[in-house]
Amino acid sequence: MRLSGRLRASLIIGGQGIRARKLRTFLSMVSLFLGVLAVVVVQAGAEIANRAMLADVELEQGIDGTRQMYLSPEGQTVPVALEVLEGRTDAVAMAGTRAIIGEPGVMPINKGGGPIDQPGYGGPSMRCDESGCYPVNTGDAGAPQGQAVELNLVGLTGDIRQFRPFRASQGQWLDFGGEPSLAPRLVLNEHAAKAFTRYHVPAEMRVDGATANPTPQIIGVVDDGGYQPAAYVRIDELMNWMPVTSVGDSNSGPGLQVLMTPNAAEVEHTLRARLIAAGIPGDRIHVNTVETLKAMSRELALIRWIFLGMAALVLLIGVAGILNVGLATVGERIEEFALRRAVGTPRLLLAGIVLAETLLTGLLTAALAIGAGVVGLKLALMLFGSRFPSLEGVAFPWQAGVAGVIAGLAAGILGGLVPALRAARIPISTVMRA
Amino acid sequence: MTTSPFLTPSPPLPPVSQPPLIHLTGVTKTLKGQDEPRTILAGVDLTVNPGDSVAILGRSGSGKSTLLSLIGLFDRPDGGQYLLGERDITKIPERKAAALRSAEFGFVFQRFFLLKHLTAAQNVAMALVNGQGWLPRRKRKAKVMAALERVGIGHLAKHKPPRLSGGEQQRVAIARALVREPRILLADEPTGALDTDTGNLVVEVLRETTDLGCGLVLVTHDHDHAAKMGRVLHLSDGLLRPTGQRVVA
Ligand SMILES: Nc1ncnc2c1ncn2[C@@H]1O[C@H](COP(=O)(O)OP(=O)(O)OP(=O)(O)O)[C@@H](O)[C@H]1O
Ligand SMILES: [Mg+2]
Repeated sequence: MRLSGRLRASLIIGGQGIRARKLRTFLSMVSLFLGVLAVVVVQAGAEIANRAMLADVELEQGIDGTRQMYLSPEGQTVPVALEVLEGRTDAVAMAGTRAIIGEPGVMPINKGGGPIDQPGYGGPSMRCDESGCYPVNTGDAGAPQGQAVELNLVGLTGDIRQFRPFRASQGQWLDFGGEPSLAPRLVLNEHAAKAFTRYHVPAEMRVDGATANPTPQIIGVVDDGGYQPAAYVRIDELMNWMPVTSVGDSNSGPGLQVLMTPNAAEVEHTLRARLIAAGIPGDRIHVNTVETLKAMSRELALIRWIFLGMAALVLLIGVAGILNVGLATVGERIEEFALRRAVGTPRLLLAGIVLAETLLTGLLTAALAIGAGVVGLKLALMLFGSRFPSLEGVAFPWQAGVAGVIAGLAAGILGGLVPALRAARIPISTVMRA
Repeated sequence: MTTSPFLTPSPPLPPVSQPPLIHLTGVTKTLKGQDEPRTILAGVDLTVNPGDSVAILGRSGSGKSTLLSLIGLFDRPDGGQYLLGERDITKIPERKAAALRSAEFGFVFQRFFLLKHLTAAQNVAMALVNGQGWLPRRKRKAKVMAALERVGIGHLAKHKPPRLSGGEQQRVAIARALVREPRILLADEPTGALDTDTGNLVVEVLRETTDLGCGLVLVTHDHDHAAKMGRVLHLSDGLLRPTGQRVVA
């Protein structure tokens, strides 16, 4: 009760003070505005960059700590690897291959497997060897464009979501238990799913290297963080339709990629030993550990701190402005404060009122700066949003709002503390000597 | 006690049931001068009972304002004893002093110290909005209006100080001093900035407050105004002495 009485008194007195000095309050806010705005913009920019760059990095690159082994599909590599990894959950191999799903005998709407919204993005399939790169004859040259989608078909020996935390969006994920189905079960990524719903693609699948065209069953959709249509399938279901030597054929993918948990050292060891025994030279087996998220976060954090430091300097200039105005104001109000103390206002309350006035100024400025940031972001998205698809649907990050409020409060405290202490020290007898 | 034998004995003590409002004995105060400390008050005795009106005369620089600032708890004495009722407040800490200034004392100064961006009513309300207890808006308004009526300027409540005459401004200041119904009113040359007629009016307003039991200490240079008080004391050489001009109000 007593505290709330003080609070109310300080609100009344502070409000009267601000109203009596509107121009000063406004000038303080002007001096502070750029600094707070700088903090808000840096924080918003850093958050948006973080989100755009880090959100899907684990989906695409694997979570930090994952061990990755790349194997080029020569000789006995694929059969040996598949044998070692069969039934394992702590190590999973994946092999990408090109597939076209849809009407037979037509050219896919996205030839080259690019995103369906950006035709021509992928270009024709290329095959590269020592002599250079040249287009692959995919057998559909000259065919009419029709209802078919080209996508990257990824065969899996096990559940890779422990390494790449795909977000489920519809249906189910692959079931790796049980007998392989003759009709390969597919899980699409969102880009592939979009193509399918948009073009009413009938389901027949042409797979590079396959001996016949199976009819797939689509059982679910995931967000895999990628930008191109892709589908995931049990590798054994895929192999019902293609010889093991075609799996991971380098004309359609990077060969075989094995993902392992950090403590699957024993599998890694066995796999390497078996591959070497099968005649693969040891120096062709590359293993590394994923640290993308950590590295990127570190870099982004460093950049953020550098920019925040610069923003803080601008803010400091604003604080000097507030401090200047605050000191001048207290100098002008010496008699008022002495009188208020004479009528019983505690000095702590007086200091609090001066501080509250600058805090309020800081908060008002923060509100304006945040508002400017929100409007600015909207404008920027309107003007440039179409050029940066990763900015699509970006909202103003709340962290930037918090940073703005903190900057405003900090500036208010820094700029108001000295004037507040001065106000509290004014001797009451001033009213008798004046 | 350091009471000097030259001093006339204290005024007759009031009935036991009603202690004096304030009772100062041997109060001393030394202020830092330019070169060396100067003793301004060298042992002041003063008792004010309910309904008393006391005038304090003295040369400029004799320490009248200093004494008033000790009585009003703006500052603390270096020595002696200060009783408020039966409570010893000689060394009261600032936090409690602020509460007492609010609850027990009203102040009027030579300059009016009205905030020019506030109306007369808001200026009076300033003594209520001081963080010492909280009154809801309506009660505040009623008290403010009562105080303004009491000094005869209820009709000026909404006026801002720049539009008021000196006498009206000083009456707003008196209303501000009275609004918490203090037990002691301290006035430091309240007529110093006013012409004779207006000054007489203001002194009359102040004196009337004692009719309801308020104690009044009036510091003045004007002997006519002093003569309207129940007791007249003279401050010189750091000591407070009666002048013998006793006029019963
Ligand atoms: N803060 C201070 N420090 C040192 N000396 C002071 C201080 N304030 C006042 N004095 C001195 O104390 C003496 C008494 O001052 P005070 O204001 O009490 O006199 P006064 O009787 O009220 O005079 P006047 O009638 O002119 O108002 C003066 O000589 C003054 O110079
Ligand atoms: Mg004086």
